[in-house]
Amino acid sequence: MTIDQAIRIREVTKRFGAVIAVNRLSLEVPTGSIYGFIGPNGSGKTTTIRMILNILLPDEGEIEVLGSRETRAARDRVGYLPEERGLYKKMPVRRLLRYYGRLKGRPGPEVDRTSERWLRSLGLDAWADKKIEALSKGMAQKVQFIASVVADPALVILDEPFSGLDPVNAEVLKDAVLTLRREGKTIVFSTHDMATAERMCDRIFMIFKGQKVLDGSLEEIQARYGADTVRVRIDGGAPVLARMTDVESVNDYGRLQEVRLRGNAQQFLARLSTETAVHHFEVCRPSLHDIFVRIAKPDPQDEQPEFVGV
Amino acid sequence: MGVGPHGKKKYMSRILTVASSEFLTLIRTKAFLIGVFLMPVFIGAAMVMQKTMMERPDTERREFAVIDHTGVLYEPLARAAEARNRAVVSADGTVRAGAFVPSKVDAAGRPIEDVRLELSDRIRREELFAFIEIPAAVLERGSRAELRYHSNHPAHDDLPRWLEATIGREIVQRRFEAASLDRNMVDALTRTPDVDSLGLLERSDQGAIKEAAQVDRLRTFAIPVSFMMMMFLLVMSSSPQLLNSVIEEKMSRISEVLVASVTPFQLMMGKLLGSVGVSLVLAVIYLAGGYGLARYWGYGTVLTPGLIASFFFYLVLAVLLFGSMFIAIGAACTDLKDAQNMMTPAMILVMFPVFTWAAVIRAPESGLALGASFFPFSTPFIMLLRIALQPAPPIWQIILSTVLVGATVVFAVWAAGRIFRAGLLMYGKAATPREMLRWVFQRA
Repeated sequence: MTIDQAIRIREVTKRFGAVIAVNRLSLEVPTGSIYGFIGPNGSGKTTTIRMILNILLPDEGEIEVLGSRETRAARDRVGYLPEERGLYKKMPVRRLLRYYGRLKGRPGPEVDRTSERWLRSLGLDAWADKKIEALSKGMAQKVQFIASVVADPALVILDEPFSGLDPVNAEVLKDAVLTLRREGKTIVFSTHDMATAERMCDRIFMIFKGQKVLDGSLEEIQARYGADTVRVRIDGGAPVLARMTDVESVNDYGRLQEVRLRGNAQQFLARLSTETAVHHFEVCRPSLHDIFVRIAKPDPQDEQPEFVGV
Repeated sequence: MGVGPHGKKKYMSRILTVASSEFLTLIRTKAFLIGVFLMPVFIGAAMVMQKTMMERPDTERREFAVIDHTGVLYEPLARAAEARNRAVVSADGTVRAGAFVPSKVDAAGRPIEDVRLELSDRIRREELFAFIEIPAAVLERGSRAELRYHSNHPAHDDLPRWLEATIGREIVQRRFEAASLDRNMVDALTRTPDVDSLGLLERSDQGAIKEAAQVDRLRTFAIPVSFMMMMFLLVMSSSPQLLNSVIEEKMSRISEVLVASVTPFQLMMGKLLGSVGVSLVLAVIYLAGGYGLARYWGYGTVLTPGLIASFFFYLVLAVLLFGSMFIAIGAACTDLKDAQNMMTPAMILVMFPVFTWAAVIRAPESGLALGASFFPFSTPFIMLLRIALQPAPPIWQIILSTVLVGATVVFAVWAAGRIFRAGLLMYGKAATPREMLRWVFQRA
């Protein structure tokens, strides 16, 4: 039986004492997709992940994982990579992977075969009998990744899988994630690296102060936030822009300025060319980075985050 | 995947997966290896030491000076020394002890302080081993004058003990003579009977009355105590390890990975069983060693199957009880420093039997002994001790204490499970005992 949605979260709320960590959150993660979770630290990302993993139970609402409302029943088919660490320092790599696989109910020899395959493809086969403490940070991160997939899960949840990796290892791990997707697995990963999220994720979900603020494909999100941003190179630079009335904000990169507008870009160009010489004018879609900052920037006037549902 | 027989089997198999991993990790730790090897090393060292001490007595020649203010005691002392020096040489020529060689010092009107100083200097220069000064008053009836023995070897006591006995005998002899008493007569009149400590008589199968056996101090005292101490060592070398294991997993976020795969209760039970396994392996090693030692000294029959069964029974209870306590502490702390603070009250509980066992041996039916028997944290140790002692405690005490400690173990495992679940994902600060209590009793 194939299930359309690997994860289905309905109206879930989680409180810690007086703090509402997650507030009436609804989310659907389609089977076979790569879903990026973004959001500032302390916004409820990890709490959401922990509820999906059944480490925490929601106070209200429902969570369905791999078609099962009893999340505990599904957890043998869910792999998890926690943010940083999560490995026994004194344990040899192979034994650790076998233990993690067997905890998911897989027979030892089967786990060994799977881990062998992954160790080879991530270039770690020479390190299989070394203790974790003998490994570099990048290698340990790769072992952690293997630990999350060693039981051949249908859903893999990776908390910050690329943090602290050098570009080469980040590339290796990115390929590994894409391999998983080709195998039909669903991947959820959280990241602070917006460029990675833009390039890899089919859909992106952003949580801020416990609430969903973004959810959709990159194109859908950019369409919502798009069209109001232009990139210009003009004589006089940022001070000229600051005088203009329909400018919402200016991001000054020195040679270039990124301008968020209140009104229409064409009208703005007409007015700008009467003010100064325009060398470059580009209507652009805001990067995920900009959207993130726009939402999460502390704004004393406007405490309520914008909600953009798609 | 309901809670059918299949689900139950799966539930148990995860616990065993955790237990075997925990077991393998624990037996690879230094603490375990030290535990395994130290015991035989200690026993072996004790046996070797004892043997060499007996085979290699102190054969050093001890020269000492005597200032005899009585003027009459030196001659008999010198004669006694000669007799002794002859006696310590065996017929085959081996010397069992070093010779004692006295020399007489004549104070010859010099101030006594000068003489003492001069002799002290000679001892410092190692020309002499010691000197003794015998005051004139020692011969008087009821005298409390003391023999002054000077040496720079305070730990050596063969010579001063011999001097005390020899000079004392001579002095008493002279007092008797002065009082015109027959010493042999006085000895004969004042001789009192000794107490011979015996067990009870019983009727044999043939109907004859069996003679009571002599009470054996080793059997009544050393065996029960070493059994209890052995169990104490085993509990100490397995349960506190659990605290380290839980803290390590918590600090490195391994707990998160684990509870994404198994329930906290499965995880905790796995850890407990792993720890029980480690203590059982150690117990078998220790018991085998202990049995060998007991047979070597001729006490092989003391280790009855009943005693060994009680030993394992109480060991498992103790490891479960203290293990769940240390797991709960580990889950409530965030680093080793927190843990050390919380360890202190826990260690007092663990040490409780060590403070009370001596009193229990002296009076196994006293109020204190009963209290210690029924106090769940000391029951396993104290009841094992009392079962090993003669007579064994009444059966109702064994049953009642077992029920009490059993109930406590069930409660401790349950409560530790609750604390474990709540504390496992708590980072940053250690829980207060109050918070831990709340975790235990809050609704799920």
